[in-house]
Amino acid sequence: MSERAPIAAQVPVSAPLRPRRWMPALAAELSLGQYARFLMRRLAALTAVLLAAIWALGGQGYFWPAWAWLGLIVPVLLDFTASWAWRHPPGAVRRVACVWALVSVAATILIMTWLLTRLLAGVSEFWPTWALLGLATAGSGYSLIALHDRVLVARGRRALRARIDLLTRTRRQAVDAQAAELRRIERDLHDGAQARLVALTLQLGRAEMRVDGQPEVRRLIHNAQREAHHAIAELRDLARGIVPPLLADRGLVAAVQSLAGRYGLGIAIEADIDRSLSPAVERAAYFVIAEAITNTAKHAGAHHSWVCLSHDGRALLVLVGDDGCGGADPSGAGLAGLRARVEALDGSLTVASPGGGGTVVEVSIPCA
Amino acid sequence: MRVVIAEDLALLREGVVALLRENEIEVVAQVEDGPGLLRAIAGHQPDLAIVDVRLPPTFSDEGLRAAIEARRRQPALGVLVLSQYVETAYASELIGDNTAGIGYLLKERVGDVRAFLDALRRVADGGTVLDRQVVTQLLAPREGASDALTSLTAREREVLELMAEGRSNAAIAENLVVTAGAVEKHITNIFAKLDLGACEDDHRRVLAVLAYLRVARSAPS
Repeated sequence: MSERAPIAAQVPVSAPLRPRRWMPALAAELSLGQYARFLMRRLAALTAVLLAAIWALGGQGYFWPAWAWLGLIVPVLLDFTASWAWRHPPGAVRRVACVWALVSVAATILIMTWLLTRLLAGVSEFWPTWALLGLATAGSGYSLIALHDRVLVARGRRALRARIDLLTRTRRQAVDAQAAELRRIERDLHDGAQARLVALTLQLGRAEMRVDGQPEVRRLIHNAQREAHHAIAELRDLARGIVPPLLADRGLVAAVQSLAGRYGLGIAIEADIDRSLSPAVERAAYFVIAEAITNTAKHAGAHHSWVCLSHDGRALLVLVGDDGCGGADPSGAGLAGLRARVEALDGSLTVASPGGGGTVVEVSIPCA
Repeated sequence: MRVVIAEDLALLREGVVALLRENEIEVVAQVEDGPGLLRAIAGHQPDLAIVDVRLPPTFSDEGLRAAIEARRRQPALGVLVLSQYVETAYASELIGDNTAGIGYLLKERVGDVRAFLDALRRVADGGTVLDRQVVTQLLAPREGASDALTSLTAREREVLELMAEGRSNAAIAENLVVTAGAVEKHITNIFAKLDLGACEDDHRRVLAVLAYLRVARSAPS
């Protein structure tokens, strides 16, 4: 039951009942309910004193007003416990609190009755044992049943949170590992298969030089070399599609500058990045910028375009903008693909492209 | 001619060394990384360094940076950089202010043995040799490119690429299987379309082409 404390704290608690006068008139600062409760307590106290006075004046003897006091204290107790129970949030917890309020009132009545029988009638046996046990069992049973779901939900929520943490972490690890792996594949293609093919063409070239006057053999060697050249060119294109070599060798800013240079658009590039970025982040940012620049060149008809790269300590921020015709469809296949790429890194991509008002693609990718 | 080779892949390095020795070119040192290249150049005073762009330990552009540093220390040194891919940014960094004795070729050009040896000699003699792909990349169809570049015919582009490789008119004619006169006509057309003054010297021709392309690349039309 301790875990509901912070929730209970959020529930507004009625203003404490502290009237200045002993018996105030019904005033604006007290609601009808509060006034009734206040009146009840005062009347109960008054009646208790009155009965004691009647007993004292009526010759004393058996102290009967104690039983009346017991009767008077019941509504006061009920009021106290009910207001305590009502502080709990509605639902299972409040129902359990109400049950325990009733149980505690019943238990108090039992114990006080036993006390009075002991004091006034000299009964020494503690007779309410079984009744109290019954009350406690009933209260506990009800609590177990009512709160069972709640405990399960809380446990489920904790498990869910742990699962989300785990998935977030492992997804990032997977994306990073994938980027590192792609970079390794690109290097392997260049330094492995491609280099061997280059060595092969070199051997073929040396062989060709030694062949004298056999045009058929020379032609075969020449054809073999041409095939090797095709294979090398294909490997190079493959490697470039995986990771542009300049991105792998020099990082994002150099790769974006080279990219912009390939378009004769005069793209202004502003870069303020003071740290090295992870391969996954660099790759995602690069392909977003490449796609955005391509779209600008193809569709925007812009006079000016710009790329802005910065890092605010928590995330890489990329802005690609132009002053073209706007009207890009943010849900189009190209932009949706870019968004998926960025979201895989917990980043966000927004596109502002009002008709006639240019286009700005804004990307934020969290990275320390 | 005395040559230093910086290449980390033994297979390729040994192949090039064998090729050079067969053709009576002296290989004075073989190294595997950037610092090794600088030491070998200081120690052997070669005429030419053949350098792979990607070298250990970083396997990024270590070789390129070492080559630029080597030329800063010895401006007379010829440097031929070999790369698995062509990057125009690397070409312009390599050229810098000193255009003499620079070569930038795709690795697979070593297979065309005669052209490769020819390129080696021209770079060692202070010429400039750029891979035809540099021109291809610079001329790649792009939005907003100047009309002059797009107005070149396919054959004129081929001629321009071969010019960038530093070839003579005769070599270009042989390569394209046309007459020297036809090549001359193409070159006149190219220079007219690109608005360049015609010049005969091979090296100056490359530079004129490059200068034009660089301007065309950096300035939006």
